[in-house]
Amino acid sequence: MSPSRPPMLAVGLLLAISSFAAHGSARAVSAQEPVGDRLPVREVVLDNGMTILVLPRGGAPTVSFVVRFGVGGVHEHLGTTGIAHLLEHLLFKGTTSIGTRDIDAERVLFARMDAVQDTLLRARASGRAERVPELEARIDALEDSARSYVVPNELDRILTEAGARGLNATTSSEATTYFVELPANRAELWFALEADRMTHPVFREFYSERDVVTEERRMRVDTDPAGLLYEQHLAAAFTMHPYGVPVVGYMSDLRALSRRDVEDYYRRFYGPNNAVVAVVGDIDPDQVEGWARRYFGGIPRGEVPPPVLAVEPPQRGERRVTVEWDAEPRLRIAWHVPAGVADEASAIAMLASVLTGGRTSRLYRRLVLDDQLVTGVYASTGPGTLFPQLFQIDAVPRSGQPTERIESAIYDEIERLVREGPDERELERVRSQVAAGNIRRMTSNLGLAFQIADSQALLGDWRETFRVSERIAAVTPDQVRGIAALYLVLSNRTVAVLSRPES
Amino acid sequence: MRGRLFGGGLAVAMGALVVAALPASGQSVSGREAVAAIEYEPLEFVPPRPERHEVLGVTTLLLEDRALPLVTVIARFRGGYGLFDREWYAAAMGLPAMLRYGGTSGLAPDSVELLLEHYAMQTSFESGGVSVGSTLNTLTEHLDESLALWWDMISAPGFDEAQIDVWRGRELERVLRRADDAGGAAYSAFNRLLYGDHSIGWEIDESDLEPERVTPERFRDVHARVICRENLTLGVSGDASWDAMRPRLERLVDALAPCEGSPPASPIPEIRRGGGVFLIERDLEQAVIVMAHPTAVRLADEPSFFAATIGNAILGGGGFSSRILQRVRSDEGYAYSASSLWTMPRRYDGLVGAVTRTSPENAVPAVRVILRTMEELREAAPAATELKTAVDRVVNGYVFNFQTSDQIVSRMMLYDSGELPEDWLERYAEGVQEVTTEDVRRVFADNLRPAEMTILVVGDPDRIGRDALAVIGPVTVLAPRQPD
Repeated sequence: MSPSRPPMLAVGLLLAISSFAAHGSARAVSAQEPVGDRLPVREVVLDNGMTILVLPRGGAPTVSFVVRFGVGGVHEHLGTTGIAHLLEHLLFKGTTSIGTRDIDAERVLFARMDAVQDTLLRARASGRAERVPELEARIDALEDSARSYVVPNELDRILTEAGARGLNATTSSEATTYFVELPANRAELWFALEADRMTHPVFREFYSERDVVTEERRMRVDTDPAGLLYEQHLAAAFTMHPYGVPVVGYMSDLRALSRRDVEDYYRRFYGPNNAVVAVVGDIDPDQVEGWARRYFGGIPRGEVPPPVLAVEPPQRGERRVTVEWDAEPRLRIAWHVPAGVADEASAIAMLASVLTGGRTSRLYRRLVLDDQLVTGVYASTGPGTLFPQLFQIDAVPRSGQPTERIESAIYDEIERLVREGPDERELERVRSQVAAGNIRRMTSNLGLAFQIADSQALLGDWRETFRVSERIAAVTPDQVRGIAALYLVLSNRTVAVLSRPES
Repeated sequence: MRGRLFGGGLAVAMGALVVAALPASGQSVSGREAVAAIEYEPLEFVPPRPERHEVLGVTTLLLEDRALPLVTVIARFRGGYGLFDREWYAAAMGLPAMLRYGGTSGLAPDSVELLLEHYAMQTSFESGGVSVGSTLNTLTEHLDESLALWWDMISAPGFDEAQIDVWRGRELERVLRRADDAGGAAYSAFNRLLYGDHSIGWEIDESDLEPERVTPERFRDVHARVICRENLTLGVSGDASWDAMRPRLERLVDALAPCEGSPPASPIPEIRRGGGVFLIERDLEQAVIVMAHPTAVRLADEPSFFAATIGNAILGGGGFSSRILQRVRSDEGYAYSASSLWTMPRRYDGLVGAVTRTSPENAVPAVRVILRTMEELREAAPAATELKTAVDRVVNGYVFNFQTSDQIVSRMMLYDSGELPEDWLERYAEGVQEVTTEDVRRVFADNLRPAEMTILVVGDPDRIGRDALAVIGPVTVLAPRQPD
């Protein structure tokens, strides 16, 4: 929503554990103790299925709020890609009372501009492109008329005046998450605003906001070589599963989305039974529970989102994709691996750290320091967590170094790892980082709110996020070698290269 | 509800005292009316204040915070890259990287890495125009080992030649890749345009990275001029008392050589004036627009500074509650991001202007909307509600300045380095509450001149429209990658 959107947090939950910077509460915490079970989190499940997690903490009188809806890019289909992300933007536009001077007058104009949009889509479909500019102008004019009834950005203004910080949202493959921080004495305001938004949203300024999203796509993908390479790489790696579809959506789909599409989508996926709320900070859990019951308790359940049934078939041979761009080269290599919630996830996270976690890691040492082929090399998993995903390696070549040579060096190192396995010292290095990370992840209220909300939604228990680090610490060299041997093989690999056009 | 702030050790009171009025069951519990019905209890909060000490003549701030078994130590040295001639620029810019990666006089780089990982230390090293800084974050149980290694990295660096070569290669690659990022390329070109041959306008280029300019000897010379005792300020936060830290810090300071002289003053930049439209032709799906002109408002405890700060929030620095984002994004759908900028350095002139990115076809209309928005604020005072939003954000959000002990200590160190009073934050919060709508109009009328903007557009001229651009002002075409 905001121009300063942070990176998506849902990607790489497991990997994030070892690097999460964070602050905290209980004095008695030490690096050797399990953290999660000691946190005084109150878990409240309302009759409508909404889960609320409340974690009181000391420090400055501030509170962090996260509400995570289990809906994202994987719930979309070709033709409506980008709808979850567009909806993320539109939910800042207000409600039937906030953001408007006359909702009835607005709705009359909504119906008229949506009818023109239908006509425009039919004109496009029937090849009558000459009508499109005139129809677009009519939509613009109607939206300008509707704007006379709008109280601009009222939701943002109310929160800003309350002293809020970091009002924003993010959409990933599997979730749409809204977040904000407030002074502790303003906590009730969040419940009133969020309940109103869940119950009475109005998707006003729809067409201009859709244009904003196309500009966001231009910025993140169409003018960013790394962004376009990533999009093309996912599309090549996933032939069936919606992980291959960009969360921001394809440009042609964005231009065809209607207000009706968004309203339908909202009704299906944004019920309280598909939401997890986390409230972390200087608050009284009894008071928070009372507000939750009062403000959210009356919201009716929504539909249960249909399961994602698409299964990516086993890859049967290497795939390669080249993106031509007048820019310096880049390289991405990916292999299909199990989901981030699968048993193998800890060993996969350990594998990533052994390969590229820090300057003593194998690929960093070989490619950056010894052979000086690249300036950076990074391993990660993605693009989601719930479904079989990718183990990815990004490399930024040094000038004049052919990507083929870099690929060879990476495959050499993987073969060596499979042949010899990592030694215990390499794993111990990662374990030290994970143990310290368990403390550092406690430093931020907002960071903790994200962690427990994600953990509850993805793993079924907010405590699981803290147990993951223990599981990573228990991974053995043989497990790391086994994962590499099983998955990091030629036939399971997709390679994407960014290169300059030959001309 | 806006209230006065009272600094010092007194409690901060925000909001009116009222009993929270919850609607009865069955009534509407959301919407504008429900929001308006909420009344807030006052927020009683005593902001923590770091202790101020001296360690062998070095100013040291300490804020004890026993919440977690972590200690953060911050070292800040006067003497950033802005104080060196261009000949020394790369070595001054590269000093933080070499402190981090170049090993120590007694430990090879690999050995340093292994120890950093073994103790799970987190370190950062950075250089600004007038200072070099480093931060250590460590588990309390490893405090002694971590402090010793970190200080060895700072005070007795090895400047390993192989690591210099790796750093140099990475910097050369960064130079080559600069044009790949349209936004970054635009800001670089804009800085060069406005600041010319001043360190603010510099960027490392190939000639800076000639091998003879980044030798171990060069790094050692820069190090000797910056990393010395009289240039140092220390900060400590977290799980450590003064009694526990004092002997440890004395050992650190004692190991540091005295300075051989004071660092030179940073030269005052001469900023380009006179406006004009500049175009860098790039075949891109989106145009990048940057505009600004110099302004004389300085960071100071003066009404003009507070009025400019609030004015900037209303113009375009306050996100969705400000005019530029409202007009360019919400009303027109031209851009994902659009904002104003108003820099107010302490010692020299700053810039006032705006930035955005939009499809090439909307570039000229977006520039026009921004210039018109600026003009409006010169001509008429903002609405009282706009002023209220900007001021309330500062006052009601005051507590966010105290979220972590690290944040509090590093801010106080920043005040020290900028010669700002210790109670600057309280003065700031009080100052913005004195601003009136007429003050805002006056500060814009006196300091914002849309017709004098230097406007840089990076994008596809055929889609932007050369003629349309020329209507804004005479267009000068710049080479895509201007040499320094």
